Amino acid sequence: MTLNRKKAPSIVEIKSINIKEAQDNILSNGIKLYTINASNEEVIKVDIVFDAGINVQEYKSQANFTSKMLSEGTSKYSAAELAEKLDYFGAYFQTKNTSEEAIITLYCINKHLKNCLPFIVEILTDSIFPGKDLEILKKNAIQNLKVNEERNSFLVRRAFNQTIFGKESIYGSYSMETDIECISQEQVREFYKNHYQKGIKYILVSGYVNDETIEVINSNFGTKNFKSYNNIAYKYVENKTKPADLYINKSNSVQSAIRIGRRLFNRNHPDFREMQLLNLILGGYFGSRLMKNIREEKGLTYGIYSAIEAYPYDACWYIDTEMNNDLCETGIKEIYKELDRLRKELIGEKELKTAKNYLLGSFLRSIDGPFSLADRFKILKDFDLEYSYFYEFIEIIKNTTAERLKELANLYLKEEDLTSVIVGSKEV
Amino acid sequence: MIKYNHYQLANGQTVIHHFDDSTQLCVLNMLYNVGSKHENPDKTGFAHLFEHLMFGGSVNIEEFDTVLQDASGESNAFTSNDITNYYLTLPANNIETGFWLESDRMLSLDFSQESLDIQRNVVIEEFKERYLNQPYGDVWLKILPLAYKIHPYNWPTIGKEISHIENATLEDVKTFFKNFYCPNNAVLVLAGNLDFENCKTLVDKWFAPIPSQKLIKPIYNQEPKQTEARTETVYADVPLDMIVKAYHMPARTDEGYFAADMLTDILGSGKSSRFYTDLVKNKNLFSELDAYISGDVEAGLLMIEGKLSKGVSIEIAENAILNTLEHFKTRGVSDDELTKIKNKSETNIRFNDMTVLNKAMKLAYAWVLGDIELVNTEAESYLKVTKTDIINMANKILVPTNCSTLYYLSKQNDTK
Repeated sequence: MTLNRKKAPSIVEIKSINIKEAQDNILSNGIKLYTINASNEEVIKVDIVFDAGINVQEYKSQANFTSKMLSEGTSKYSAAELAEKLDYFGAYFQTKNTSEEAIITLYCINKHLKNCLPFIVEILTDSIFPGKDLEILKKNAIQNLKVNEERNSFLVRRAFNQTIFGKESIYGSYSMETDIECISQEQVREFYKNHYQKGIKYILVSGYVNDETIEVINSNFGTKNFKSYNNIAYKYVENKTKPADLYINKSNSVQSAIRIGRRLFNRNHPDFREMQLLNLILGGYFGSRLMKNIREEKGLTYGIYSAIEAYPYDACWYIDTEMNNDLCETGIKEIYKELDRLRKELIGEKELKTAKNYLLGSFLRSIDGPFSLADRFKILKDFDLEYSYFYEFIEIIKNTTAERLKELANLYLKEEDLTSVIVGSKEV
Repeated sequence: MIKYNHYQLANGQTVIHHFDDSTQLCVLNMLYNVGSKHENPDKTGFAHLFEHLMFGGSVNIEEFDTVLQDASGESNAFTSNDITNYYLTLPANNIETGFWLESDRMLSLDFSQESLDIQRNVVIEEFKERYLNQPYGDVWLKILPLAYKIHPYNWPTIGKEISHIENATLEDVKTFFKNFYCPNNAVLVLAGNLDFENCKTLVDKWFAPIPSQKLIKPIYNQEPKQTEARTETVYADVPLDMIVKAYHMPARTDEGYFAADMLTDILGSGKSSRFYTDLVKNKNLFSELDAYISGDVEAGLLMIEGKLSKGVSIEIAENAILNTLEHFKTRGVSDDELTKIKNKSETNIRFNDMTVLNKAMKLAYAWVLGDIELVNTEAESYLKVTKTDIINMANKILVPTNCSTLYYLSKQNDTK
């Protein structure tokens, strides 16, 4: 029998999904510990989360430099010694802050966990923030900012967020050179005292987790040195002004960076999951309408996509691309044409089915492995949701109709609600 | 330890299977043993342009992506100097769709002038977006021709210049396919929740009937030993001066490869490295300074690159790097330093081996190197390296006559 290569193999649709859920534990001092045990390799990731984000800072860059300076030395160890000790055990240590939190992360092999954690304890209880190191970090940060400011993709993102969320909002807040210059050792020490040493929001451990792991975590962080703390007092201020279109001229640009979008609701809104599907069809995957039309049919760009960025207190939706300066007008016209089609025409049955299958597949990939599972769990924590949010996702996506998506496009993707930000050059 | 089965089909195609039932997914990874080094020096950027065309539909399947997305799958690919690698991730029970897609585009592509025209434009836009419209984006376009005079590593995978991509014809494309895209020049890896028997059945069904081709591999010359220091200075619209030093180093399968890799770890990887502690933090001559290896199959490059702190002259910066290297050669490596980088390698290997996609790619790459078992001996190769090996390597390769230096200077500094 010869093989019929015209005939596609049969496809099984994703019906239900099993998610390995995080386990709740409480350390001896009351701090919450969540664990996700889902690895064959003996590797581990420890996230320690603090209410120490941009939303609680008094000065711009304060949260950022405090988190950056955490590895710069304690009264016992210099920055170089700390790095040396953690590197010695093959570990990776990272600190970062978001708009709402600071997260410090340790990656290592299980057998070295007990050797590494005492240094993290040291950092969290006894950092000294040396002035000399702060000055070097500040200088380097200013230089990095200057390099970033040469990138149109960086400039367009910054200008778009400032426009959409407002420069005063935690989501439109960016540090400029003078903000970085002004940060002082006192401000950093103050922030550490008020927002790290007040207590830990929670700890999330993922990878190869057993009783021994939990015991090691407890013996290091379940002591009197730490307590549980969750700041609930923060009040978010929304952008009340209507955003205006913006063109930023950057001579010498070969291409222009374009971002068109609006503020949107976040995951706590009932329409969010259906909007994810609508966004996918427009620009959320390789088979999207924008990619097909503007890249694959017209070759106007290397990439174009649309995305929803959801934060605990706000969200935005946008289309993003880079194209030749002289092609921008054509490209933007096509973008608006695609939005118009979504509002006027029903999405075809076949296209809708493909998008649904793809979205469910990408969800399946997003829960593969312990660190992906930890990322999913983090989303639930950030938006105060339960695992049912993900299980319902499957049902909601399966049941969404073309009529419903057209309705959403007319509600949320109206041309008059969109703002465009372009960084490029008009000289061709 | 990655367990695997492997065998060869009558048409010359190698098949590797790795079973992992901790995932609901299966990865199909197809690696063709062709990269930019196999290109004609007057028609560069071809292997990568071709990678784009592989997603434009094949002889029996009009739309590659739609079929894959319908099966809840996702795919991507990359091209390097040495190889072109395609990978598909699907729910394990839909993996046959992956077999259908991947075997059909090996059989034959749906060549059309229109598809070529569009992908040429897309790649030209990629060239501009990633190499021309980025600060420091063209560093590789400058340093490679300085370091390699003869060997085809002297151009980057995107190509030497845009005109090479503009001039690609449909005939060129067809010839490239005929020469390199055949079972006897490829390795297929299946990794994930698919057992060996089912894997074999599907391979027999979809890949075994594809005929082998006569392989025409271009012959290129090996790079002669560099005997003089090479330098080039460029001025660009960037805020900070940059220095890039490229030293020739051993090939991936040569004995010294691991020592050279560990040498860069000690010098310039992480916050306890020599460069960071001494030149970034203590002296603050650089805002960043890294050392790494290009990681090619054949003799590649050990790279040192850094952006200078504002106000530091390029001579002072370069001397500081050279002093650190000399200091390293005379003082040597401490026991703790050696343990540290060995522990780092172990962490890197363990974390890399967590996903089936990474394992699949690693298996395919080991085949290119000539021994699949390298996936499991890699850790040991790092452990075997001694302090003396590392110092000997430093003395051998970190010398001026083996170095190409690019001074990438800010126009802004120049005019001040």
